[in-house]
Amino acid sequence: MASTSTATVDRLVRLDAPEEPRRRLPLSPWHLFLGPVAVIMLLPLIWMVILSLETSSEAQSFPPVVLPTGLHFHNYVTTWNSEPFGNFFLNSAIYSLTTVAGNLLFCSLAGYAFARLKFWGRDVLFIVLLATLMVPFQVLLIPTFLIVKHLGLVDSVGGLIMPNLCSAFGIFMLRQFFRTLPIELEEAARIDGTSRLGILFKIVLPLSLPALATLGIIQFMWSWNDFLWPLIIIDTASHDPLQLGLSALQGAHRSHWNLVMAGTVMSQIPMIVAFLIAQRWFIRSIAFTGIKQ
Amino acid sequence: MTARAEVTRGVDYRRPSLWQRIIASEHLAGWAFVAPAVILIAVFALIPIGWSLLLSFQANNLLAPGHYIGLANYKALSKDPQFRAAIGHTIVYTVIFVPVSVLGALGLAVALNRKLRGIRFYRLAVFIPLVTSTVATGIVFLWLLDPTFGLVNYALHALGLPQQGFLQNPNQALYCIVVMTVWGWLGFDVIVYLAALQGIPQDLLEASEIDGASKWATFRSVVLPLLGPATLFLVVWSTINALQLFDEIYVTTRGGPLGATTVLVFYLYQQAFQFFNAGYGAAIAYVLFVGILIITLFQLWVGRKRVYYTS
Amino acid sequence: MKRICLLIVTSALIVAGCGGSGSSSSASSTGSASASGSSGGHVNITLWHGYTDVEGTAIKALATQFNATHPNITVTPQFYGNSDYALQKVLAAVAGGKPPDISYLYGSWAANIATNPTTVNLAPYIQKDPSWNWNDFWLAARNVTTVNGKIIGVPALIDNLALVYNKKLFAEAGIPLPTTDWTWTDFENAALKLTDPSKKQFGWAYVNDASEDTVWRFWAMLWQAGGSILSPDGKQAAFNSAAGLKAMTLLQTLAKHNAIYLDDGSDVYPGVFNSGHIGMLWTGPWDLSQITGHQPYGVTILPADQNHQTISGPDNWVVFNNGSARVNAAVTFLKWFTSPAIDLKWATMTGDLPLRASVAKLPGYNAFVQKYPGIGEWAANLANATQSRPVTTTYPKISTVVGQAVQSVLLGKADPQQALSQAAQQVNGILSAPS
Repeated sequence: MASTSTATVDRLVRLDAPEEPRRRLPLSPWHLFLGPVAVIMLLPLIWMVILSLETSSEAQSFPPVVLPTGLHFHNYVTTWNSEPFGNFFLNSAIYSLTTVAGNLLFCSLAGYAFARLKFWGRDVLFIVLLATLMVPFQVLLIPTFLIVKHLGLVDSVGGLIMPNLCSAFGIFMLRQFFRTLPIELEEAARIDGTSRLGILFKIVLPLSLPALATLGIIQFMWSWNDFLWPLIIIDTASHDPLQLGLSALQGAHRSHWNLVMAGTVMSQIPMIVAFLIAQRWFIRSIAFTGIKQ
Repeated sequence: MTARAEVTRGVDYRRPSLWQRIIASEHLAGWAFVAPAVILIAVFALIPIGWSLLLSFQANNLLAPGHYIGLANYKALSKDPQFRAAIGHTIVYTVIFVPVSVLGALGLAVALNRKLRGIRFYRLAVFIPLVTSTVATGIVFLWLLDPTFGLVNYALHALGLPQQGFLQNPNQALYCIVVMTVWGWLGFDVIVYLAALQGIPQDLLEASEIDGASKWATFRSVVLPLLGPATLFLVVWSTINALQLFDEIYVTTRGGPLGATTVLVFYLYQQAFQFFNAGYGAAIAYVLFVGILIITLFQLWVGRKRVYYTS
Repeated sequence: MKRICLLIVTSALIVAGCGGSGSSSSASSTGSASASGSSGGHVNITLWHGYTDVEGTAIKALATQFNATHPNITVTPQFYGNSDYALQKVLAAVAGGKPPDISYLYGSWAANIATNPTTVNLAPYIQKDPSWNWNDFWLAARNVTTVNGKIIGVPALIDNLALVYNKKLFAEAGIPLPTTDWTWTDFENAALKLTDPSKKQFGWAYVNDASEDTVWRFWAMLWQAGGSILSPDGKQAAFNSAAGLKAMTLLQTLAKHNAIYLDDGSDVYPGVFNSGHIGMLWTGPWDLSQITGHQPYGVTILPADQNHQTISGPDNWVVFNNGSARVNAAVTFLKWFTSPAIDLKWATMTGDLPLRASVAKLPGYNAFVQKYPGIGEWAANLANATQSRPVTTTYPKISTVVGQAVQSVLLGKADPQQALSQAAQQVNGILSAPS
């Protein structure tokens, strides 16, 4: 049995390697579908980049100038120097990374409990937690501010983070994913005497990397793009995370739209990088042929 | 020594003490696991939700001290034609948005789950709209759909078709918002599906192939059921989100034209932050909350019967 | 082992995230907002604003100048993001008992802001100190600071609507340029003549998102036709008069001939003007920074029906009560900031209109007018802003009703009489409802 599963694992691992040559067209027909889709998806970003490379004057016209006369890359330098962007990026990085870490940890624990453990009040509690997703933030922002104020965290990055350390969204998502895993592995480990915490960290989480990477990238994106809560809680400019800092560029009237776009494009780069990193985990082929044992 | 080992040895064993049983019990473990999440969510979400429930029973502009008026806000809501209109717009939006985005994402995820040259680029492309800020998205779409100068009308003109008002046409605006939000959110559903597709054991797919099933039959009878949990999650989440649509409306149509895109959360925002009627706004939020809760419970109940978990 | 390390690292990250900011929060609490006022006579106050670009630079420069010349007071300007979101932030701060000392707030919120107990009534301060020269502020600005006899703000911004026209398009169409004697008929004819669908050219532009931006242009027209918004006792709608009908009909006529570029609220119309597709705008000095350097344009007063009245959209500096020391410091700052010399300096740095009539007599005024071509017309036009919108808590609702009425006429979905009657009925309902 063991040797069979090893052989199977080997074969599956090799799936990551290039495909064996079959009847190959020079270009797969899938490109005909994915190509246009990609263009549609990328259109706004392309458009933002074009705008960011125009002069202020060109950016002030509507209909917009689609082919700028020159590529003014120095707009990016101007934008970077116009506000303390280094600070903004740092604040956003702290905010985003901590909320990602918090969510991954707390939602894994809770998600596992909801997925596998039977405890008193489990189903009602799950609905109660899920219910917190059903009230729009506009209504909650003032009481949340009051609570954070009582904790003494107004105008601090801690005040940004605390309300976002754990969200029912992550709990729901991970619960669904954990339930798709074959329970036999966990049962076997339980019989062997592994603690429940051990099962979670040694068996369940390693098999759930795609789900964890997905939750991570989504939470990262939410924190990175957050505007309203930082607006409410932060007063001092040096504590601004990125979206709040960017709004300082946005004059009430579009005198420097090209610079605003340059700032916006810059702010999206870390998310693209984060996605490329996370992609390796949520696309990896996970082989769990252990079932056969 | 585990209980099991002792039983097989046939020896009389001492039952674990009450304390040992509690510690080992699943109840304690369950609560211990959820404790951090529960504390955080209770403090930062449940308490604010309770506060706004109290607000819904008040006449309050958030500036002067409010006073309690019982159920007056809710009674007024039941007679408010604009509230009913907002419900209608929200439901129309949700009913179109959820199936389109979930099914579209499923198709796209399957396409993106291949080993194609440049597949990483395609995946990134699908993800980009998700990270684009709502403001930037709004601006781009307002330009694309401008009745006079927009790119889409330009294309229609080239094809000899009449110019459309799109976001300035009360009959078309909501559907344009659907397109805009599907475009913006598709990437989210796609990466959830991609992650779920990784969990499908290769040997099941191979077994099906060996049995002679066509690709489509394999998809329908093996892949689709195994994507059940992810689909349920996406349907529930998309519904909860769609019913609370706000940002995209705020940056484009602001509830217009002629109120055609006034959805519930936008109506709430108007009441609370434009008309200084925060108590009324909170009441709207609660009615919406109850509606979402009922719909979600229904979806989960259906899911319980129809969704297959490998355990 | 690995999982314990993971737990420790994660917890450390979280603690670092909160704790590291904890030290910065204590730094900030001595620095800014909770500047719990005085230490030995020195007072720290915060000023919340939405200024960006040149205005953002100017406020920082002037605050620095004030701090240098007033050693007992330190004013810290804090940018609160977009002024549209300011209300949510201010409401949160007020609810949490941590309001700023001074905040820039839209004039349309004045009546509601006045209901807040921590809003300072500045009337005693102003009455005690004639050097405020309160009546020197333009009437339109003063109207929006006063609610039920209380003065709840100091003028922060004043503007008005004037006629901006594209000289090149007028020349191409062979129409004489607008003058100060222009009537509605002249305006209508010009707009129709300047409209050319084949060139995607419009005679006029109008912001049609049913917001106050849609409504206030209509009010200007209503007043020019001799009408008024509400009855003198403020209990009934009065805009559905003959004057209102005349104004709405003009809108309908122009819209029917596609003479109006309808902006959906995203403010792209200046860009359309810049690309030479619009003949005339009714707009304010805020668009100057965007339209300068593109089309050759001129500025003049609005065309008249019975008069040349215009409308102004003033905003306020509101003072919140954080103790008498800080209130006094705030009042001192605002008096300095809005004094004629400093106000002229602000205007010259930013292109905003002077808040006081006496500023036009100062020696540096000409330099200001030269710097922003056309600004002189707007400044002089302030004398035509003789009426104001009602400063009541119900005004935002009235605005929405009328906005939808105007929007429906411009979109051709309703005829003027119908739209006006319906709007008047709704407004009467709003006015008679118990608050």
